[in-house]
Order: sequence, then C-alpha cells, then structure tokens
Amino acid sequence: MLEALVLATVFCGFFGIILKKNLIMKIVCMDVMSTGVIAYYVVVAARDGWLTPIIAKGKDVPYADPVPQAVILTAIVIGFSIQALMLVGVMKLARDNPTLESHEIEMNNTN
Amino acid sequence: MNTLTIAWIGFPFFIGFIIYLMPKLDKYLAILGAIVSAAFAFQLFAMPSAVTLELLNNFSVTLLVDRLSGYFILTNALVTAAVVLYCWPTDKSAFFYAQILMVHGSLNAAFASTDFISLYVGLEVSGIAAFLLISYPRSDRSIWVALRYLFISNTAMLFYLIGAVLVYKASYSFSFAGLAKAPPEAIALIFMGLLVKGGVFVSGLWLPLTHSEAETPVSALLSGIVVKAGVYPLVRCALMVEEVAPIVQIFGVGAALMGVFYAIFEKDTKRMLAFSTISQLGWIVAVPEVGGFYALAHGLVKSALFLIAGALPSRNFQELKQKPIDTRIWIALVIASLSISGFPFLVGFGAKMLTMKSLLPWQAIAMNAAAVGTAIVFAKFIFLPRGGKAETKPGFWTAVLLLLAGLIAANAFYVEAYTLENMLKAIATIAVGWLAYFLIFQRTAIKLPRILEEFDHLVGFMSLIPLILFWMALSK
Repeated sequence: MLEALVLATVFCGFFGIILKKNLIMKIVCMDVMSTGVIAYYVVVAARDGWLTPIIAKGKDVPYADPVPQAVILTAIVIGFSIQALMLVGVMKLARDNPTLESHEIEMNNTN
Repeated sequence: MNTLTIAWIGFPFFIGFIIYLMPKLDKYLAILGAIVSAAFAFQLFAMPSAVTLELLNNFSVTLLVDRLSGYFILTNALVTAAVVLYCWPTDKSAFFYAQILMVHGSLNAAFASTDFISLYVGLEVSGIAAFLLISYPRSDRSIWVALRYLFISNTAMLFYLIGAVLVYKASYSFSFAGLAKAPPEAIALIFMGLLVKGGVFVSGLWLPLTHSEAETPVSALLSGIVVKAGVYPLVRCALMVEEVAPIVQIFGVGAALMGVFYAIFEKDTKRMLAFSTISQLGWIVAVPEVGGFYALAHGLVKSALFLIAGALPSRNFQELKQKPIDTRIWIALVIASLSISGFPFLVGFGAKMLTMKSLLPWQAIAMNAAAVGTAIVFAKFIFLPRGGKAETKPGFWTAVLLLLAGLIAANAFYVEAYTLENMLKAIATIAVGWLAYFLIFQRTAIKLPRILEEFDHLVGFMSLIPLILFWMALSK
C-alpha cells in the first residue's frame, strides 16, 4: 500500500515534468518526483521495523534499517543543491523570457 | 596502495577548494591535479592485480581500481591537462579552473567506485560541475543548454536511485555485484539512468545540442571524458555480472549505428562530432572487455577534434568548402580524423582492431558497417580545402600537440595489432568509406529532423527506454 502511494508520487512528478509547460512548474514537479524517491527509501528502510536504530539494554524491538536512510541523506542534499542551481538559472532566463514557457525558451535559444 | 587510492580520490577536490583561497595559482593547481591522476593511472598499469577497498562494513562504499579504471583515469588526466593548457593564455577566472578540478575529481571517484551510491554521488557532482562550466559565459543560450542538461541528467538519476534501492532490497548491498540477484525492474531503472548519463543510443540525443553549444574547451571536456562516467559503470557491470552483458552489448551496437547515421547527414561540424561521440560510446560498450582502451583512444581524439573544430573559420561544412583552412590546422585535423577512422600508426587503429577481434558473431556485421560509417563521416573533414592562413588562439597548439602525441604514444598499449592482415583490413575499411563519400554522400543534402532532440521528447523517451530494458532484463 505504502509502496503504491510512493510510486504514485513518483509518477505524478514525472508526468508533471512532461505535461507542464512552465519551467518553474517542471522544476517543482522534479522535486515532487524526488520526494517520492526519498519516501521510497524510507519505506524500504522500515520494512523490518520502524523504531530508531539505537542500541538500548534489555530491548529487543524491530529496528529500521539505517543504511538506506543514511544513503538517501546524501541524495537529499544533492537534490536540494541541484534545485537551487536550476532556480538561479531560471531567474536569469526569466529576464528575457518572462513567461518561462520551456518551448518558447527552446525556440529562442537553439536555432 | 590503499591510502594512496583514497588520497588520490580526495586530492582534486582538496586543490579545487585551495584555488578559491589562492586564485593566483589556479592554472598551476589545475594542471597539478591532472598530473597526479596520470601518475596514479600509470601506477595502476604497473600493478599486477586490482586494488579493492571496502569502507565501513560490507554494505556501504566499495572501491575497485584496476587496469580498466586505469585507462579511464588516464583519459581523464590527459583531457583535463589539454583543456587547462588550451585555456592557459585566456582570462578564465579561478572559478572556471576550480570547476574543472571538480569535474576531474568527481569523474575519478566515479571511475573507482563499484557501488551504486558512490557512483551516484560521483555522477551528480560531475553533472553539477559540468552545468557550471557550460553556463560559464552567462548568456541566455548557455544557461538554457546547461539547465536542460542538468534537468535531464537529474531526472534520469532519480530513476537510477529507485533502481539502486531495489538492488539493496534484494541483496542488502549497493554493490554492482548485487545486480545478479536484483529483479528486472531494478536493472531497467539503473541502466536507464546510466544510458542517459552516458549518452548511449536514443537516450543520448540530449548530447548533440549540449556538446555543440558549449564553449570549445568545455565541449572537449564533455565529449572527451564526462560522458565516459556514465559508460564506465555499464562496462563494469557487464564485466562483473554476466547476465546483464548482452543488454549492454545490444545497446552498444544500436548506439554505434545510430550515432554514425546521424553524423553522416549532419551539416554542422560540432554537432557532427557530438553524434560521432554517441557512435563511439556505442563502440566502448559493445565489447566491455576491451572498452577501457577504446575509451582512451576516443577521449584523446574527440577532445582534439573539438579543439580543432573550434579553430576552424566556420561551423558549417558548406562554408568550410568555400574557405581554405590553415594548412597546419588541416594537418592536425587529418591526423585526428585518421585516428578515429582507425588508420594504422595511430591509437584508433589499435583500439578498433582490438574491439573487432573480441566482437561476438552477431555484432560483426553491424560494427563493420559502423566502422565504414565513421570513415565516411570523417572524410568530410579530411577533404576540406587547405592553404589558407589563420591565427589560432595562443593555447591551441600546446593542447592539440599534447593530445596528438598521446594518440601516437598510446599505441604502446597494444602493439600486437600491427599485423599485415589488420593493416590491410583497416585501410580497406577507410577506402570503402571514402569511396562511398565521393560517390554518394558528398552531394546529399538530406536534413534529418531535430524534433527528437526537443526537451519534452527527450524526457518522453526516458520513459520508453526502461520498458525495453525491462523486457530485455526479464527475458535474460
């Protein structure tokens, strides 16, 4: 169930990238997609248990797997910095292409 | 050797940040980074066995450096050095050199990693640094091209990440070896990311625009080495996990043919070189066992060609036919074009022959056709009129001479190629290509549509490729 929801998020983001015309919206959709991916890592980490993986005496409880969580932290940081860079690029582009329609920008800049 | 490996991975990043503190030393530090990598690559060639490193228990970071990575690292070092030398007399800022070192360092890291997460980090960092290099002129056009590149590669890498966690789910490890036990959807998603990043087959159609619109030295860097970061893991996976090798090889043959087909009909020099890159990347993955050597040959020749194309008076072949080009530039152009067509005494010959020798039976016809196609494509350069006079940029000759010297010296890696039979075969292939060029392709004026290179279509294709990959992985 959780997996299905996560996949739905990823696909929402992906189709947004294709279907939305505005560059900002495309970037937001990419962020939605990356949120889905991050959530999937968390779901995978929690498949054997969902308690914080801290060793405590006398407790034998199912812990969440720390590895995917640690790994996805890196991806979150990278995704965030890419997002920031892209938005700066879009800000620069917005000066000459105020509507920010990706098709228009493409026509103006590739021929 | 273990400490040395880790120090070598960290070194370019370290001096890259030092550049910000001491901007006056920028060029010297950048060239130092390239020299250190080259020295490390030769160290690898001298070693009898591979160095394997496992950091922090068995499920996280695994590194592996051997002769295969040695070839990629050496290519990286030489191309970076040539690009720095090319930019030496220009007034590029310290920021530019720092980014070159970031690209260099992240590619080194990608060439050393054998787990999906270190590779992901290496690829993403190289993508970010490449974005900054492409958008360095700060014009609208360059920003759009860079943005498009980053957008497409990042979207592909998101799919890759899903694939990586599916591998982890199946084998509790992110290592490449886990691919053997992974479900087909994991293979499809991971390879889709790598195919886009490496510019192989239709997933690589983002490449012509990006590589042709970037500045000359940046195009040389992108085409010479950055795309190799996506190709290396494909080669490594095919070598480590036998089941996936056929998938990689089929895509390699497809890319070799598709790239050369587009390149034959292209009328713009830099776009033609970019399409030729797609084709040559196909050659690298078509035969994974010898892909490293081919990557070295291609990296050197393609960056040289991009630098030379930047010194030509025009980008349009029609105009170039009217304007004679400087004879010295023409000679450099001919040497590079002959190497990529596989002419003896240049490294392209050894690389082509080694690849041809290791082809599977079903690949042979297609790859021979691709070799003839390459000869046709580069006949366009070789038969340009010469005799003009032109001033070149001051750094041009040092960079191009370094790369051309590399083309000749790298022959030493595979001298066994020089048999009479091989030489005759290579010359015959080129002769057939040139004949076809004179009889047919010199006069054709077909213009292939560029619609598939539009942004939305690129993303759309991204969703189709994993379907194909999925069925291939399912039927293995």
